Amino acid sequence: MNTLHVRMRWLAWHRPLLARWAQVALIVLFWFACDQLVRRLHLPVPGSVLALALLLVLLLAGVVPAVGLRRGADWLLAEMLLFFIPAVMAVWEHLPLLRQDGLRILLVILLGTVLVMGTTALLVDLMFRWRQRHAR
Amino acid sequence: MRAELLSLLWLAITIGGYYALKPLYRRRPRWWTSPLLTVPVLLAVLGLVLGMNYPAYIRDTHWLVLMLGPATVAFALPIFRYRALIRAHWPALLAGVLGGSAMAVASAWGLATACGLDDTVRRSLLARSITTPLAMVVSADVGGVPELTALFVVITGVMGIALGELLLRYLPLRSALARGALFGVGAHGAGTAKAYDVGTEEGSVASLAMVLAGLLNVLLAPCLAGWLH
Repeated sequence: MNTLHVRMRWLAWHRPLLARWAQVALIVLFWFACDQLVRRLHLPVPGSVLALALLLVLLLAGVVPAVGLRRGADWLLAEMLLFFIPAVMAVWEHLPLLRQDGLRILLVILLGTVLVMGTTALLVDLMFRWRQRHAR
Repeated sequence: MRAELLSLLWLAITIGGYYALKPLYRRRPRWWTSPLLTVPVLLAVLGLVLGMNYPAYIRDTHWLVLMLGPATVAFALPIFRYRALIRAHWPALLAGVLGGSAMAVASAWGLATACGLDDTVRRSLLARSITTPLAMVVSADVGGVPELTALFVVITGVMGIALGELLLRYLPLRSALARGALFGVGAHGAGTAKAYDVGTEEGSVASLAMVLAGLLNVLLAPCLAGWLH
């Protein structure tokens, strides 16, 4: 296990670009394995969420070094926009619906987002201040 | 043969357009320069010229959508990176994520019902506040259309950047924690990027709040589906 750590660290330091693609490939493989597992065993959680949980456990247990996956993970997260642009183009299939309900949908999202943001921020702030007052 | 070439061309245009338009956002970070908006607009314009046909478009680009799975797995790293933040502020984070998510579902359901939107749209709106890969999972669970949800998530993100900025001006928020959570729970990835413009602490809280809200929604989606049935 230690030699794996050393190798992953060495690669991340000396060959950053190669390390990034190797890490992306590792994460994809790990996701694929978990996805297959979920499908075969008909587990009630999505494969990607199971993979996330397992990877987090491995990181916390120190089995996998975080530096050894950082570049790959950062790339996947940064390029996430690219991955869902094709899903957005499905709009094309729903144009009649959107022409009919578009304005009302926008209104729901607008008001809903204001409510969500307000609720979240005020709750966090209240909790934070309450804890500060009662912490010591 | 021609259809296959056209599919490949769409894949090339999607990737090429994304990398060509990304620097624009880096130079002028506004809601209307986000690749989230500019790339679909570019694709729509080309679609009008070339004749958009969604099945042909998605045939080769569905590989990109599939990458949302590994991208979800990558969220393990920010959670791990900010584990100290979770340990120190878990009550406030939990309150914000729980309250915000409950409000997201309740407001979508209530407002959509009040506006008389049909059931599929209403169900597709439920997961609009969380990050796309997880939102599509939740949407399928609660009886929505995942592609419509992806669109609503994008609209939420674009609006969220502008609304968040406005709310920060008027809400009496004292902590970076609250400012970050506002963006993370309210406007997922787009909001998180904006939160990093406000401050590094806000940005890390936002990305953490976004992941936690997404996971909470995925875990509770089956209950929600049973309840709304």
